[in-house]
Amino acid sequence: MKMNKDIQTASPLLTAQETDFAQASLEQALRLGAQHARITLNKSRADLYGTLNGSLDKVTRNVDRAMTVSLFADGRFGSFSTNRLQEGQIRSFLEQSIAMVRMMAPDPCRSLPAPTRTEKQAQEGTELGLYDPACMQIDGDEKRETALGASVFGRFATEGLISEEGEYSDSVTDTLILDSNGLRCRHCETSFEYGVEATVQDTDGNRYSDYWWDAAPQRVDLVTDGCAEKAFRLAKAQQRPRRIASGKYNLVLDTECAGKLVSPVINALNGYAIQQKNSFLLDKLGEKVFSDKLVIIDAARQAGMSGSRLFDSEGVATQEGPVIDHGVIRKYFLNTYMAAKLQMTPTVEDITRPLLLPVGPAADRASILRETGEGVLVTGFNGGNSNAATGNFSFGVDGFYFRGGEILHPVREMLITGNFIDLWNHLLLAGSDIRRAQTRLIPTLAFEGVDFSA
Amino acid sequence: MIQEESHYLNTFEVDEPLLSLLAQSGLEQGGDYCDLFFEDTSFHTLNLRDGRVASGGFHIDHGVGIRVLKGEKTGYAYAESTDAASMRDAARVAAGIARGTLRPEAGQEASRPKPSGRPNPRADRYPMEADWRTVPSATLAPWLERLEEKIRQKESRVAKVMASLSFQVSDILMYNAYGEMKYDTRPYATLAVSAVFTQNGKIENKSASRSWMCGAEMLTESLLDRLAGDVVSGIDARFEARRPKGGKMSVVMGAGASGILLHEAMGHAFEADFNRKGQSVFSDKMGQQVCPKGITVVDDGTIRGNRGAVNFDDEGVPGQRTVMVDDGVLTSYLHDRISARFYGVAPTGNGRRESFRCMPLPRMRATYMESGDAQPEAIVASVKKGIYVDEFANGQVKIGEGDFTFYVKSGFLIEDGRLTRPVKDINIIGNGPQALADIAAVGNDLKVDDAAWTCGKGQSCPVSCGIPTVLINNLTVGGE
Repeated sequence: MKMNKDIQTASPLLTAQETDFAQASLEQALRLGAQHARITLNKSRADLYGTLNGSLDKVTRNVDRAMTVSLFADGRFGSFSTNRLQEGQIRSFLEQSIAMVRMMAPDPCRSLPAPTRTEKQAQEGTELGLYDPACMQIDGDEKRETALGASVFGRFATEGLISEEGEYSDSVTDTLILDSNGLRCRHCETSFEYGVEATVQDTDGNRYSDYWWDAAPQRVDLVTDGCAEKAFRLAKAQQRPRRIASGKYNLVLDTECAGKLVSPVINALNGYAIQQKNSFLLDKLGEKVFSDKLVIIDAARQAGMSGSRLFDSEGVATQEGPVIDHGVIRKYFLNTYMAAKLQMTPTVEDITRPLLLPVGPAADRASILRETGEGVLVTGFNGGNSNAATGNFSFGVDGFYFRGGEILHPVREMLITGNFIDLWNHLLLAGSDIRRAQTRLIPTLAFEGVDFSA
Repeated sequence: MIQEESHYLNTFEVDEPLLSLLAQSGLEQGGDYCDLFFEDTSFHTLNLRDGRVASGGFHIDHGVGIRVLKGEKTGYAYAESTDAASMRDAARVAAGIARGTLRPEAGQEASRPKPSGRPNPRADRYPMEADWRTVPSATLAPWLERLEEKIRQKESRVAKVMASLSFQVSDILMYNAYGEMKYDTRPYATLAVSAVFTQNGKIENKSASRSWMCGAEMLTESLLDRLAGDVVSGIDARFEARRPKGGKMSVVMGAGASGILLHEAMGHAFEADFNRKGQSVFSDKMGQQVCPKGITVVDDGTIRGNRGAVNFDDEGVPGQRTVMVDDGVLTSYLHDRISARFYGVAPTGNGRRESFRCMPLPRMRATYMESGDAQPEAIVASVKKGIYVDEFANGQVKIGEGDFTFYVKSGFLIEDGRLTRPVKDINIIGNGPQALADIAAVGNDLKVDDAAWTCGKGQSCPVSCGIPTVLINNLTVGGE
């Protein structure tokens, strides 16, 4: 783990009284009859300032605090949660929970994770450097001015802009996990975000919308300037789309939406899908399934980087390393329960921060378009789904037709259809143009010969 | 289910003077409307995996959301405790929208709605004969086990069965600055099953669900039989199914779940917040012909026991039936109080929210098209080459452009007026206004679907949809 020497250790959201309450609840659950228990206490605060066409439109504040209790009693299991955390109510909540657990069928595969697997470093919650105390110090006037200041509505040449909806938000979350095997780990994270949707209208009355955003765990890193202008330019670029004929085209997938074709692959590696035989990657561990160009790692524990976590929801330490290595499946995501059901070695419950490594030298979208030559650049998805058991997919897409590496015109109302194993065996290129704000680190990608219906 | 007023006041430990005080404190900084939304929800789930109900739990959520409006601008905050101090803090935060407004609004001032009286338990649209909160959990697990038995009795290729029973009951109390108090108890219950089938080394899956606003009386042997039948029916076709050749073609939407077409192609674009902001493809189409004559499209909150039913919406406006398209003409958007005020019309009872944590937005309820006069068989027979679809997974729409999609889990090719080869796993895309104009026939067999449809619009909201058999020309079908 890369650690940040300047890690903030100022008090996060949960108070000492609240963490003591969680510990007392754990002990009470054991006294009431659970043989083992896990307590997860979450607290968060989020403010949002929304603008519509350069005026303040909404202000919201969300403050949440809830406790989730996983109970193991008499070989049985149940999971319960409540946001009613007054002293007088928690005993009744725990009694009812344990009573319900005892109505379940026994399940010998249920257990807490072994202490050897759990996270030991995450004690203060600030070890990853994802907590910025500024979140608690910025006043409402500054947040409002940030939201208003980022608007470009009516400010300069934004011809055709008929609606601009922006949102500045900041949040802090604090999570504490305790279990009866002595686990204690904590994660605290702040997030500062600005996003804006622009809608433009052409001279024929047709509307086109697009979105741009930035996000960072540290306030100083959030860049709001230029977001609204970029959303406006992206929306304008979609004007006057043309249709293309159905057929096979090379597909270049913009980094902003490339995760859409990676998530189903990751989902197919999850223990729940494997155990229920509802995965197109069943019985593929250790096998070469995809192109040897495909390398996905879990960059889970990178200090200061959005999306990093030191532990999963069981408190198991996250693991950095290969998931798909040159097309070979290297990991299934198996929590304690699923590993026991499958009689396999547990790993972690899910990927934390997927990173798809570049193919070839560093490349941005423009160079990938040049290298690919001709095809369709997809910049957005519109619905669609996939079959978890077979890997067949069909998605609505829109974007641009390109030739000779140059974008020629927008295209829309198109569908791409295929099978994930076949698609990822036709991976041509993967760029190096991931944005800092992304938590799923999938660069611009290029695939050969994808079926488009249009 | 509507109970006595005292039940709700006791649940949230409030009385009317305190509610009035809170509503007034929300207006202290210049807001012109304030409402309070109290919610106490218990959500239960039981899961069957590998032949046993070995996991489940319940979740308790309790709190109050406080909203202050200044013109069309919204301040919103909530408290998870209903003690007076926590609620006053939330009201103060929400009230800040008035202070934070930088430009005065010149929008139309709606006349003050007339108080419509306290809720009437006899007018309840979702009574519970057997209140879930009084049913012992131990009596529920056997229903899931019997469902698996019935599925396995019907089909030997079943490899896995996953079933779940989930239900929630929410006590709701609403109060606003006009002094109107509304209360409601809302049950939602879903029985869902998914099965994985194997055949000659191939794997397929299939799902089915039923969901209503009702009590535990929904659990019957007949319901288990219907779900078991649904999940195994057509599995031969699923193994045989292939992708069609993609491209533009005629699509016959089977009655019932095909109502997803209306939800995506029209319903969202008719939600008045998108139109108020100029973002919808239908923003300037009020009073215009948007469909062929003869077509009527409704969003209905009055269907007894339906997932979209509301005695009152989440702003305290009575549930009602809203005709959006009448004889092909766009006659109404779906309004919450904000958009109704903007357009100078009465709210339509579409102000809905996921929970007290969320501000209400214009949302659909049960959206369907009224029956036409064509025979369904004749509609299929009229198509030389096309596709018939009847099972769906999900859909989506781009509000500004009007481009919508829906994902088809299964269907059939139509060749020379007959259903021939099965197809599966295809997305269909179209443009809302164009697709509506391309409706060529409407069957006489309207069916409202009872599956567990949930709409996402930043917040989740239970809905349903329905449609008679409909023929649409020129939709783009995904394929190879």
